[in-house]
Amino acid sequence: MIAKKENYLLSMLHSELADAVGREYVSGNAADQLGHSIDYYWIPEMWHDRGRENPKPDFIVHPGSAEEVAKVMKIANQYKIPVTPWGGGSGSQGGALPIYGGIILDTKRMNKVLAVDTESLTVTAETGINTQHLEWAVEKAGFSTMHFPASIACATLGGFLAHRGTGVLSTKYGKIEDMVMSVEVVTPTGEIINTLPVPRHASGPDLTMIYLGSEGTLGVITKVTMKIHPIPETRKFHAFLFKDMHEAMAAGANIMRSRLHPCVIRLYDEPETAKLIKRVLNIDKQGAYLVFGFDGPEKIVDLEMEEACKICRKQEHEDLGTEMGQAWWDHRYKFFYPPYMFHLPQAFGTLDTVATFANIEKVYWAMKNAVNAKFPEAVFIGHFSHWYEWGAMLYARFIVENPPQDPHEATLYYNSIWDLAIRAAIREGGVINEHHGVGLKLGRLMKELYGPAFNVLGGIKKALDPNNIMNPGKMGF
Amino acid sequence: MHIDNYSDTINACRFCFMCRHLSAVGNVTFRESDTPRGRALLTGKMLQDMKDFHPDYIDTFYRAELSAANRFHCVSHYDEAGLIMAARRDIVEAGLAPEKVKNLAAELMQAEFTVEGSGSTLYYVDLYSSKADAPGGCKIISGGDTGKALEVLGFVKEAEAVWAKFQAAVKASGCQTIVTSCPASYDMMKKRLDGAKVLHSSEFIAGKPGSGSVYYLDSDYLKNYNDNMNAPRDLLKKLGYELKPFGTNIEESYSAGEGAVVYDKLNPELAAKLCDRIAGLVDNPAGDVLVTASPYTRFVLNKYTPQIKVLLLDEVAVKGIK
Repeated sequence: MIAKKENYLLSMLHSELADAVGREYVSGNAADQLGHSIDYYWIPEMWHDRGRENPKPDFIVHPGSAEEVAKVMKIANQYKIPVTPWGGGSGSQGGALPIYGGIILDTKRMNKVLAVDTESLTVTAETGINTQHLEWAVEKAGFSTMHFPASIACATLGGFLAHRGTGVLSTKYGKIEDMVMSVEVVTPTGEIINTLPVPRHASGPDLTMIYLGSEGTLGVITKVTMKIHPIPETRKFHAFLFKDMHEAMAAGANIMRSRLHPCVIRLYDEPETAKLIKRVLNIDKQGAYLVFGFDGPEKIVDLEMEEACKICRKQEHEDLGTEMGQAWWDHRYKFFYPPYMFHLPQAFGTLDTVATFANIEKVYWAMKNAVNAKFPEAVFIGHFSHWYEWGAMLYARFIVENPPQDPHEATLYYNSIWDLAIRAAIREGGVINEHHGVGLKLGRLMKELYGPAFNVLGGIKKALDPNNIMNPGKMGF
Repeated sequence: MHIDNYSDTINACRFCFMCRHLSAVGNVTFRESDTPRGRALLTGKMLQDMKDFHPDYIDTFYRAELSAANRFHCVSHYDEAGLIMAARRDIVEAGLAPEKVKNLAAELMQAEFTVEGSGSTLYYVDLYSSKADAPGGCKIISGGDTGKALEVLGFVKEAEAVWAKFQAAVKASGCQTIVTSCPASYDMMKKRLDGAKVLHSSEFIAGKPGSGSVYYLDSDYLKNYNDNMNAPRDLLKKLGYELKPFGTNIEESYSAGEGAVVYDKLNPELAAKLCDRIAGLVDNPAGDVLVTASPYTRFVLNKYTPQIKVLLLDEVAVKGIK
């Protein structure tokens, strides 16, 4: 493990890392350490806000290539030092926090777009690239990644791959794992490997999928080839207000069961409609707000839109028209900027989960009822924002105005809400997360979620990372 | 402390990542501390602990390029650039400015302004321009920076003294209109000069017709500080040039540190990196013509990336692009 500060071994290690990546790309300075000690997870934010010190990395290393990442891995294995990959640092699960100190491997220097294949419609890029920069570069070439998460400007491509992120158009274009063709990975022991060049084959298990969602515990994804798409001729939106979430859910599920292909459906429950839709979109209505969109050739879009509207009109509804749908699209990221986003001193968390249509409303009510019963001071709101042929994702959130001031008490309090809500979701057929990942926040619940199957994941981890240097303490490892 | 006045910005930005893609310096150093979030964390920590600025924090604040692209982007326009200038002011007043900053400030304090020539309009020649850039028929005022550079370095009292000298020289010139091609000086004069009309050269020069295509690089002070994206573009279009979009977007700062006024003098290595990033986005380095409204940007791009062709808007208007 890492040497004490006053020990010359720390300087020896600094020399080796500088030799691997260049002296200007190794830092142990106080400003950088602070920046890398807090991500978007509430606990380190709260801890910092209360004047406490978060765990800090000893070194922040910025490799410029897979080869340099491999060198860092070999050094870390030699000294058995923790390595925590860090992209944009905007993860909400604490997945990039250096909880045991050691090396932060910041990937942002690996930020090049390497190739745009206009015949196959793929882009190959290094994974440290900011995803907004990637999208801009792909758009300049006349295409789009169609990956539009709220964190598009915050996060790196590698971050999305590491925790299986998703964007607002996922209902048509898929989550990040649906967009990937192949990846290059540096293993924990420093080998550089590539997965097969195409995502559909019968040439053994899907190695790519082992790495997607592994959150830096099984290696560092350094390069990816992913699908891109033509810029659609048009993209149109329509919004409805339903008397309650159940009516709106029926409409949304019927659109998906009809096998229409909306690029987005988003349904806000009554409390979120009253709170956030009013605040951000200035739509002051009682009920459940549902918006959906289609994109592609205009004739097809108009036809699909007409069919989707017909489906919605079968439920008890108020038609808000295209304007109130377009307003949502135009302001889709505004929800996440201050002061619209929840913020300290509030305690807040996003309990996103996913389940089949048969279970998703049961999951919602189980979580909500559990939280409301034990924590009546917590406000529970939710929306459903990623839809599949078989079910939907619930983006539930809780907000507590005045959590305990003592940071230890606040941590216990916060975690008990999470434990309660996630266990309720699992009981009704949900999972612990849909697109933010597991990280530090939810690692303790992985064994409960997987049961004996977690031993398979544990075996893979042990085989790939024998010294357990890769992002230790995350994902239940 | 002056950063006390920015507690709303600190609280909003310290845990917010939404504008990090526009952190010009962060995009070339890759450091978390070189983003509005990182700097807000540092200033917040300072307020929390009420201790002297850590030397690493000070270095970070003086690495900031102050493009204000992040503030311009933010839906709530939190003043992250103002926060850094407040932090620099606190550093200076605490006597903690690094030697290189103090030396640069001492140099800038030597400004003495003189007016020459004849005409009813006064043209200000900034640190990165020469008298040859001035349009004909104007009086010329020169002799140093107006105080803007000192102000952004945190030497506010000293900036006031230089500004007073500048203002007196302007008054003595008898001109009612003052023109400059320097967007930073334009910003300073626009906000503070009483009794005279202030114009950026893009709003003043007539120019002569030209042809061909050019890529216009937005100025931080025109776009992000004064919400003026149109005047330079309108002039180029009026003269007959086809405008092509530079880079991949219109949000990033492509000015190579113009917001910090004298960035190359303080951080030459970082100025070079900012220039490299811009040069890397040029579609055809051998043939493209880039036009900037900032003499600073022209200077640093010509210095660090001579392989690309960069012209000042004023010279394009007068001499064309050949």
